[in-house]
Amino acid sequence: MALEGGREGSDPGTGYRSRFAAIGACLPAPRLTTDELMASTRYRTDIELERLTGVHERHVVGEGEDSLTLALGAARDALARASCDAEDLELLIVSSISRHVGGLRRIQIEPPVSVSLKEALGARNAVSLDISNACAGMMTGVFLLNDFIRQGRIRRGMVVSGEYISELGRNAAQEVRDVMSDQLASLTLGDGGAAAILERAPDGDGAIEVAGFTTLSEHSRLCVAFPSKIGPGTTMHTDAREIHRVGIEDAVPMLREVLDQAGLEFDQIDYLIPHQTSARAIEKAMTEFTEQLGGRPRNYVITVDEFGNTASTTHFVALWKFLNEGRFTAGDRVLLLSLASGLEVGIVIFRVGELVGRYGHDH
Amino acid sequence: MGTIIEAAAAATADDRATAPSAVELADAAARACLERAGRGPDDLQLLINAGVYLDRNISEPAIAALIQEDIGANPDIRPGGGQGTLSFDVRNGACGLLTGMYLVDGLLASGTVTCGIVVGADVDPEPGVSEGFCFPGVAGAILLVSDDTRPGLTAFKLKTFPEFAGDFESHVAWHQRAGDGQGRNLLTVDIDEQYGAHALECAEATVRELAGEEGLDLAQVDLLVATASVPGFADALARRLGITAPAAGSSEALARAHTAAPAIALESAPLAASRTTLLVSAGAGLSVTAAVYRT
Repeated sequence: MALEGGREGSDPGTGYRSRFAAIGACLPAPRLTTDELMASTRYRTDIELERLTGVHERHVVGEGEDSLTLALGAARDALARASCDAEDLELLIVSSISRHVGGLRRIQIEPPVSVSLKEALGARNAVSLDISNACAGMMTGVFLLNDFIRQGRIRRGMVVSGEYISELGRNAAQEVRDVMSDQLASLTLGDGGAAAILERAPDGDGAIEVAGFTTLSEHSRLCVAFPSKIGPGTTMHTDAREIHRVGIEDAVPMLREVLDQAGLEFDQIDYLIPHQTSARAIEKAMTEFTEQLGGRPRNYVITVDEFGNTASTTHFVALWKFLNEGRFTAGDRVLLLSLASGLEVGIVIFRVGELVGRYGHDH
Repeated sequence: MGTIIEAAAAATADDRATAPSAVELADAAARACLERAGRGPDDLQLLINAGVYLDRNISEPAIAALIQEDIGANPDIRPGGGQGTLSFDVRNGACGLLTGMYLVDGLLASGTVTCGIVVGADVDPEPGVSEGFCFPGVAGAILLVSDDTRPGLTAFKLKTFPEFAGDFESHVAWHQRAGDGQGRNLLTVDIDEQYGAHALECAEATVRELAGEEGLDLAQVDLLVATASVPGFADALARRLGITAPAAGSSEALARAHTAAPAIALESAPLAASRTTLLVSAGAGLSVTAAVYRT
C-alpha cells in the first residue's frame, strides 16, 4: 500500500510531521430509533435489525439541514477548537458522499460543494476541492493532507464531510422484504458532519506516525449507490456479507504492513477506531485481527449503537465523542481503520497529544 | 524532482459500436494512455478519476476503483507483492483533470507514489431524459511520473470565484409526476449565457496572478492548453493574455468536452517541442486551475 511515515518519523527531506489540530462534528438534533425505522417498512420484514447490527438509533437531519449545513457546522466546530482561523487554512478538502445542497430532494453535481463551504467559512487563502471515495473519503483527505504537510507544501488544511444519508434508509424501508435484501445496510445509516484540521507538528507532539492506503478493486462492485428510482435521494445496494468477509480478510495483511512500517505491534495500540458498520461486524473483525496479528488493542471503539453508520464521517464522529468525554490521555496511540466500498483500505496511526486539552469533558 | 507528463490519450464514444458507459470510455482512455507510454497497468500507484457525469449518476464507490479493476491495475495486491494502487475521485468539474494533476504532483513530489494517472469521462446518464446536457461522450487520461532530470510541472494556481457560482449548475433532483404520485430523479445542467465570458475573465485573472508569483513572462509561453467546456475558449484566452503561441483546446467536434478536455487537447498538442506550456481549465464554481509545465 501507499505509505507515509513510519519508523523514521518525519519526512526525510523536510523533517516535518503532521498532527490533528482539531476534530469537529455536527450532529443534527432529531433522532430516529431502529424500532421507529423498522415500524415504517412497507413490508412486514421480521428483521431484528438492532440485534443484528447493534444500531439503537441514529441522528437524522431536521428542517433546513442538508449535507452542506452539516459540513459547515462541523468545520466551524473544528475551527473553534483549533488555534487557527479559517484564513489560515491552505487546503480545504470536502469528501462527502452525499451532496444534498439547497434541500433534501436535490443532489448537487456542479459546482463542487467546496466552493460554497470555502466561501461560507471565509477560508479565502485555501485551495479548495472535492474528492469522493465512499466511506473512506475523510480518511483519504487525511492521507492527502498528511502528505502535503510532511513535504512542506502546506502548513495546515482541513478535510470535512457532511453526510445526509438517512434518506437511503427511508428508501430502503420501502423495498426491503427480508434479511437477505441488498439494501439492508442502508437501514443502519445516520446523518452527521465531521471535520479534521491537520497542521505541521512543531515538535512532533501528537504526530501522525504512519498512514497507509490502498484500493483492492477486485471488490469494487460489492457496494454501489446511485439516485433512487422510487423517490428522492439515493439507494445503495450492498453484498454485505461478502464485503464484510473480504474486508476483514484483507485488512489483516494491510494492518501488518502498516504496523511493521511503524515498528509497532498490534497490542501497542491503545484505541482502534474502525469504520462503524455494525457492532457484530466490528466484534467479529476484532476477533479475527487478534487471532491473526497476535495481541489486541487496549480498546476498540463502537459508536454505531448511538450514531448508526455515518459514512465518511464515522471515525471522526467517534474520535470527537471520545475527546469530548475525556476518554483519551495525551500519550494514547490511536489507530483509525477505514474499510469502504472500493474496496478501500486506509489506516492512520497517531498519538492524541495536545488534542486532549481542547475538549471539555461531558461525561 | 519534476513531475512529467509521460502521455495523454482520449477515447470518444464514436470509436465504439454501441453507446458506451463513462466507465468503459475511461477504461479505454486509460489503456490507450498506458500503451502510449509503454507501461503496464501494474505500474500505476495512483489512479484518480475526475469525471462527474457518470453511469447512473453513481455516487459510490469511487469510479476510479471501477476503472482500476477494469484495467487490471493491482486489483488484489498483497503486502510484499508491490505497493498496489490507490484510487479515488476528484469532483471539481471541468477543472477536475488539472486538479487531479495537482494532487498527483504532490504525491509524486513526496515519493509516496512514482506513477499516477488522472482520467476523466462524462456521458449523459439518461440520453433523451436529462435536461441541458450538452457535453460529448468522451474520455481522457494523462499519465504522470517523477523525473529528477527535468522540471516538469513547476507551479499550480487554484482559485474560486463564488460570485459566479450561479453561472454553471447541475444537479439530480426528484421530479414528481402529476396524478399518479410517481416520479423520477432527473439530471439537469444549467449553463448561463454569461458563463463563457466570466470563465475567460476569471482564467485571465488567475493566470496573471500565477505569472506574477512565478516570474513567468507570458510572452515566453510556447504553448497554451486551455479548456472550459465552451467552444473557442483557448483562442480567446490567448488573445486576452497576449499569448501569440499556439493555443490548444478541444477539436471542433469535441469543443464542449468537459472533464476530459485537457487530455484531448494535450493528445495532439506539441508538448515536447514547447519549453514553457501554460495549462488552464475553468469550470463551475466558478473555479480555475492553472499550471506551468517546463520541458
